[in-house]
Amino acid sequence: MIVRSDRSLGVLRLRFQGTDALDTLVAAQVKAEALDLILGDADVVVDLSGIAFMDSTGVGVLVSLFKAARRNGRNVRFAGITPGVRLVLEVIKLDRIFELYPDAASAAAAFKGVPRPPAACG
Amino acid sequence: MTHAPQSSPDGHEPLRSLEAEIQELGRVHDVALDMIERSHDLDGLLDRILDEYEVRLRDLPGQALGEGYGALSPAAAGKLRALVMFAAEAAALKQKAAVAGELRSRAGALAEANASLALALTDAEAARRELDGVLAALDAGILILGPDGAVRHANPAGRRIAAGGAEGVDRPSIAFLDHVPRGADAEVRLGGDDGDSRLLTVARRDLDGGDGCEVVLLSDITRRSREIEERHRMEKLSEILRALSVLSHKINNPLTSLLGRAQMLKAMAGTDPKVLKSAAVIEESATRIAELIRELARVVKEGRQEAVEKVLNIETPSGPEGGAR
Repeated sequence: MIVRSDRSLGVLRLRFQGTDALDTLVAAQVKAEALDLILGDADVVVDLSGIAFMDSTGVGVLVSLFKAARRNGRNVRFAGITPGVRLVLEVIKLDRIFELYPDAASAAAAFKGVPRPPAACG
Repeated sequence: MTHAPQSSPDGHEPLRSLEAEIQELGRVHDVALDMIERSHDLDGLLDRILDEYEVRLRDLPGQALGEGYGALSPAAAGKLRALVMFAAEAAALKQKAAVAGELRSRAGALAEANASLALALTDAEAARRELDGVLAALDAGILILGPDGAVRHANPAGRRIAAGGAEGVDRPSIAFLDHVPRGADAEVRLGGDDGDSRLLTVARRDLDGGDGCEVVLLSDITRRSREIEERHRMEKLSEILRALSVLSHKINNPLTSLLGRAQMLKAMAGTDPKVLKSAAVIEESATRIAELIRELARVVKEGRQEAVEKVLNIETPSGPEGGAR
């Protein structure tokens, strides 16, 4: 189990244990575990504070998590961005699409009063 | 890792590369058209971009993404560049939409405020018309005086009472206010003591928040005052009539006895001229008193005010409204 989770005040927080890289070696497992946890009943904070390296597959995982939450009408925030992760997100401009926060607490606090995206029909 | 052009055994590699480039151009074109179509649907646009990210990242498994995509093949770097361009456009659209949304929100709030204001003005205008109607219907006069004592506003009754029936109200016509201190109540008689005089009640009050302005309440109590006087007079007259009625009864019995005794005296006097004359004087006086008593009794019975006044020699007050009734 790589993905750990906890819930607080209607926010699901995901963090990663046992790896400091989100790459092709762990991406499939991370994606499967995380998608199992995103049930659509809570907004999501993805805590990347333990991730120092991320390749294109890891980025694909983040995009998939983001899409999964949006499909259920939930918002996703990414927190604890390390310099290595930030560089990758900036290079492919995902920093302009994802909402990035310095830590999980501020990301969770930012959900208050934020309108939810429309849930996908069908 | 370098990505030098590779040759294929069948020699068709350049053709495949060209085909891939054409496919990529077509895809970029499709995505661009999609983005244009969804430019007013930010959620749809974001979904479209995310789909594109997912597809293109899946095509580049395990690639390190650094500055300038240095580690990627030219084709992969090209795919990412197109993706980055889409993301940048989507982000710019999102920002514009946020600004436009804020402007729409402010415009909506402004329109709502304007509508509320218009409604409040309509209500205020209706309330003012109602108030004007009430003020016009009041018998009491209301004057609004400025700090200099000039009349600023007056309701119809106020104009009528203050000007003595004339339409306009000017300072000289309300000179009687000089006799009423600010904040005081008073009765003021106008026009001397003759029958044309008028009696007014005057109340002067400071107008709350009126910067020295005041409101004057006027009431013409001339008629009511005369009616009260007349009622008092009638009550007094009624009391007199009742007393006269009692007195008539009380006088009548001894008077009858007196007349009977005078007649008996005349019969017993024989030819004594002195006695006969005295008896005749007594009888004549008693008869006159009896007639007077009867006349009073008749008047009392009929309740005729003029006759009572004539009999009792009471003067009736004169004046246009103060006549006898």
